This record gives sequence, structure tokens and C-alpha cells, in this order.
Amino acid sequence: MTEKVRRYEKIDFLGEGQFATVYKAKDVETNKIVAVKKIKVGSRAEARDGINRTALREIKLLQELKHDNIIGLLDVFGYKSNVSLVFDFMDTDLEVIIKDSNIVLTAANIKAYMIQTLQGLDYLHFNWILHRDLKPNNLLVNSEGVLKIGDFGLAKFFGSPNRINTHQVVTRWYRAPELLYGARLYGTGIDMWAIGCILAELLLRVPFLPGESDLDQLTKIFQTLGTPTEETWQGMTELPDFIQFKPFPGMPLKHIFTAAGDDLLDLIASLLNVNPLERCTCDQALQMPYFNNKPAPTAGPKLPLPTIIKRQREERPSLKRKLLESIEGASLAKKLQF
Amino acid sequence: MMMPGKTPVQENPLGLSWHDSAWIPVLNPSNIMDYFSERSNPFYDRTCNNEIVKMQRLSPDQLNNMTGLEYILLHVQEPILYVIRKQLRHSPTQASAVADYYIIAGVVYQAPDLGSVVSSRLEMYLTQLSTVHHLQSAFDEASSCSRYHPSKGYSWDFKNGKALAAKKETPVREEPSSLFQRQRVDMLLAELTRKFPLPVPKPVHQAIEASVEIKQEVKTEKKDMKPPPEKKPRLN
Repeated sequence: MTEKVRRYEKIDFLGEGQFATVYKAKDVETNKIVAVKKIKVGSRAEARDGINRTALREIKLLQELKHDNIIGLLDVFGYKSNVSLVFDFMDTDLEVIIKDSNIVLTAANIKAYMIQTLQGLDYLHFNWILHRDLKPNNLLVNSEGVLKIGDFGLAKFFGSPNRINTHQVVTRWYRAPELLYGARLYGTGIDMWAIGCILAELLLRVPFLPGESDLDQLTKIFQTLGTPTEETWQGMTELPDFIQFKPFPGMPLKHIFTAAGDDLLDLIASLLNVNPLERCTCDQALQMPYFNNKPAPTAGPKLPLPTIIKRQREERPSLKRKLLESIEGASLAKKLQF
Repeated sequence: MMMPGKTPVQENPLGLSWHDSAWIPVLNPSNIMDYFSERSNPFYDRTCNNEIVKMQRLSPDQLNNMTGLEYILLHVQEPILYVIRKQLRHSPTQASAVADYYIIAGVVYQAPDLGSVVSSRLEMYLTQLSTVHHLQSAFDEASSCSRYHPSKGYSWDFKNGKALAAKKETPVREEPSSLFQRQRVDMLLAELTRKFPLPVPKPVHQAIEASVEIKQEVKTEKKDMKPPPEKKPRLN
């Protein structure tokens, strides 16, 4: 196992989450830049239960998945009671891109992100996996403009009629109304709703439905899209946490997304259908006229990148030289204690 | 370059005008673009870069870094006239005009392009009889200049042709009026002179009177009436 630790040379610290620390590293065998996610051991009590559940989910699912638009799990290794996961290195994510006001997201750029997201998600759903935590932050983008769905910490198999799922999934702003009403049996619709919210955010550059509580989240959904009734959403009143809302008429989407073409408005309406049974699937979404109409999606390398990444790319030759120097002086190479 | 699912102007845009009376009293150079981008304005393509920048809450300076359709305020002549240009941007320094719109007293029109003006004028021109006549005479004159010779085939002879045409033209002099018209006018004039006789010079009048009196004299001779004294010397 120590061989594997030596295989990945730490370059940079990338970030720290609740369960893990992520580093940028170089695979000395392939000369590829990778991301190493070191799972935190946690408290003694947690450690007794074994490996962290989210890490286990990621390992279990991602080992079987291989798609251009799904983050690739390249390697897993353990060292000194720690577990580390090795992923494709991704330069940025949609959250960073959306928040960068120097970037203009053209109709063609948005279409390119949507196609990649839907193709990755279609592959997941085809393999009976729900992601359950789609948000701009989890849609990773590399400097080649390839988008990959990441963070499978909440992903789960779906489709078993007797399997009860928790409704406490998905970051609130991207949570579908059936989850907010406490549905325990749900399907791909929850991921599609999140995609609709992400698309809206790409267009508006601010979160579309930023609820401050679960109740406020439902209020915002119904104020914007109209309050559903038992006729428009059969079975709604039987959901565990159902409460009757004031009947809001909703707002016309074209008043919200003023620069969107009619084909795009159709896609948004289909993704953000309050009734989960009428919401479109990935396959249906990709068949909609929006994806065949002009403008064509922007080619990957032409997609915009945040200014910081662009600067790094320009400086890359010097960084490479530094790396080469450190390899030549092997003793100088920093070894990461995974 | 038209964006999908968007046909903002179905009918001929040159036959359209648009205004929103609520805006008209407050229009000024700083809000004229907002007025033009009203959703109901049929000249405004809402998939343009201006609307994308507005929807994404970005700085309007970003427009120069984008490519594609955009609108700019081209000319202002306060308070009555604004000209807005629709253009395709290729780079931060290069853009090609697509159309101009002028806003006069708050009413928006599309400025016609040269092609439309010429074809519209030509169409109007061709429908007028006078033009058909001019065209016909042009053809006539041209054909009068063509010559045929069995060994040379057809040829143009403008010098002689022109002379011929000139000759032809002289005899064709139209009379100012027809016979019927002249007769009618004569009749009316006669009627009028009968109703309102021309004032006749005095000596002539006296002569007429005299002749009448002569007749009377002849009649009265039998009654032995004395002739009026003043007339005697004249008769003598």
C-alpha cells in the first residue's frame, strides 16, 4: 500500500469539507493531475463503525460507473487507517462560474452545460441511480470545458418499491416540492427538478428559489410557478407533510427569463413541473427542440473559465517547470501523508 | 442568425410602428433603451445580447466582449428624435449594422433600407400609366433606330433614327380643342353677348337711331309731321 501513497505527489491544497480534505496531486506513473480526497477519520465512536458512509457510497457506486460526464474514480487506497479516493482533476465548478460576473453565459454556453449535465444524469438514471444532491457546486468543469457530475455522497439506487428513502436530501434551494412535502418514495423527478433550478440559475446568475426554510421554500416555489391542486397533482394531499397553501397563480416564465427563446422556456417549464409525474426525464429533455435549434452548444475548449483559472493556465509552463525540477531532485518532492 | 423559437416581427416591419403612451412623457436619453426593450415592442428581439446582460444582472460594459445581436443608441436629438441601431457584433471593435430604428415623439419605426426604398419607388412608378407611356416611347424610339441588311444582319443607326423620330414628332401637333368644343363655346358666347350686349360707341348708336327715324319719317310723311329740328341739318 505504501507504493500507492508514493504514486500521488501533493501539489496543492484544494479544499476541506465536513468529511474529507481534498488535494491536487500528480500521478507520477501517468503524469496526470488528479484530485485526492482524503476521508476524515472522525471521532473514535465513528471510527468504530468503520469507514464513513458517504465515502462508502461514492466508492460503491463510482467504481461501476464510467461516463464522460460523471466524475471518474481512478483509484482508492488506504494508509494508516485512512481511506483516500483518487478522482479526475477538475479546475472549477458551475457555482464558481455562475458567481463570476466577468463571465457572460451566452445561450450557446448554457446549452453546452445543459447537454453535458443531462447526458451524465441520463446515464446515472439508466443505471438506476439517483444523485440526490445536484447543485451548481457539484457540477464540475475542467479547463477543456468538460462537465462532470461529482459528489456521490448522497447518491443511491432507486426503484425498489419496498425501499424507504429519506426525504432529507438535496440542498434546499434545489429540492423538489414532493421532497418538501415529505415523500418517501420518489424517483428521477427529484434530480430533474434540481436541474431545472440549476438551468434557471445559469440564466439569472442568482439562485432561482432561495428559500430560507423548508416552508419558505415551498412558498417561493408556489409563488413563482403557481400552487398545485389535487387535479394538477394527483396524490399531493396524501403526502406525509402536506399542508394547503394559498392558491398563487404563478408568474409567466417569459417574464422571469426575459432573454430566453420559446424553446428554452418550454424546457424550463418541463423541468420545473410541480407535479413530479409530469416532469420530463433526461431522455425526454434531450429530445426537446431546444437542443436541436440554433445556436449550437459552445465547443468545450471555448467555454468560459473563471479569471483565476485562466491566469493559472497562462502560468502553467512555469508550474510545469517547477514540477519537473522537483522530480529531478527526487529528495525535494513533497510526499503526502494520506 | 435568428434565434430559435423567436419571430418577433412576422409582418413587414416597415409597415409597423410601436409606442407606449405611458412612457412618452418621460422619455430621455438615459431611459430610451429601456423603452425600446419593452416586451411589447415588436422591433426588439429579446434573445439579443442586451437582454442576456440585463437578465444575468451583468455590467452593460460586457456587451463589447460578446458576439452576436445587440442594440445601441446611435443618435439623439433631444427631445424629439432618437435613433437606435440593431447590429451584429463580431469582435470588441467590429460590428455590422442590421437595421436602424427611429423614435420620433415616442413612436418607433424601422428605417427602411435602400433596397426597400428603390423597389418601392420602382413599383409605384411602374404602376403609373405615364411611365408605361414613357417606357413605350423609349422602346419605339429604340426600334426606329434598328436597321436590317441581308448581308450584315441587324445594326443600330442612331443618327438617322433620331432624325426620323424628330420628323415624326412635328406633324403630330394636337389641336387645343375639338370641333364640338369650339361650337359649344361659340354658342355660349353668343348667348352671353345677347343677354349682356357690349357697350356700343355713341356715334354708331345715333346712326342706328337715325335710320329708324328715317323709316318713321317715311311713315309720318303722310301725316305732315315736322321733322325734329335738330335732325334737319344732318339729313341735309
